[in-house]
Amino acid sequence: MSKYLTVITVLLLLLLVAVNGVMAAPRLLIKESSFDFGYAPQNSKVSHKFWLYSTGDDTLKILKVVPG
Amino acid sequence: MIKKSPKIQTNEGGTDKMVRISTHVIERPDSTYPVINTPYKLDMSQFTGKQVTRKTLRITNVSDEKLDIKLVDYPSDYFTVDLPGSVKAGETVEGEVVLVENAIQKSFEKSFTFELSDEQHSRFTIPVKRTVRNITGGIGTKTSGNKGK
Repeated sequence: MSKYLTVITVLLLLLLVAVNGVMAAPRLLIKESSFDFGYAPQNSKVSHKFWLYSTGDDTLKILKVVPG
Repeated sequence: MIKKSPKIQTNEGGTDKMVRISTHVIERPDSTYPVINTPYKLDMSQFTGKQVTRKTLRITNVSDEKLDIKLVDYPSDYFTVDLPGSVKAGETVEGEVVLVENAIQKSFEKSFTFELSDEQHSRFTIPVKRTVRNITGGIGTKTSGNKGK
């Protein structure tokens, strides 16, 4: 009986480790995702900084930024 | 109104995230409402040894109500912006843009944005440009070499 318990415990532990591995994922959080410049003069450059937060438990990679 | 929505592709999976920017482009910056900004863009360029580290912006209230002024965005790694808290109807107030130490040697094109307390919560963005050349050479370095030719 104790053998079965040990096997089940080990299996459960392995399952937990596997689930944790699957759950580890990158996550991107953009707290402020829009910005209104209001009135801006023609033919001039304006700028604003957006902050991207990596809140997951794996490395977040920015692959591409597509203008739109 | 111009709206742009660049997409950010990451290894997160799922749909791409995006940020949104919008602006009203003004063709006649000398006749805006409820304020007129003079100048409507700031040039802090420096072509001689004489340092240009601060510029003044005048905000004229052309409406018939007192307006509160709130700074909403500026690039703190390039300059600071000091704006008065309000401007009375028909009056002009002055604000100041001051370069931070680390930006003195840099050329850049940035901007700052302020918001007014009118019903529309009007926002104005003032572009700030700086080109730096010949900081140590001083004025006349180039031309003095041509004089003898």
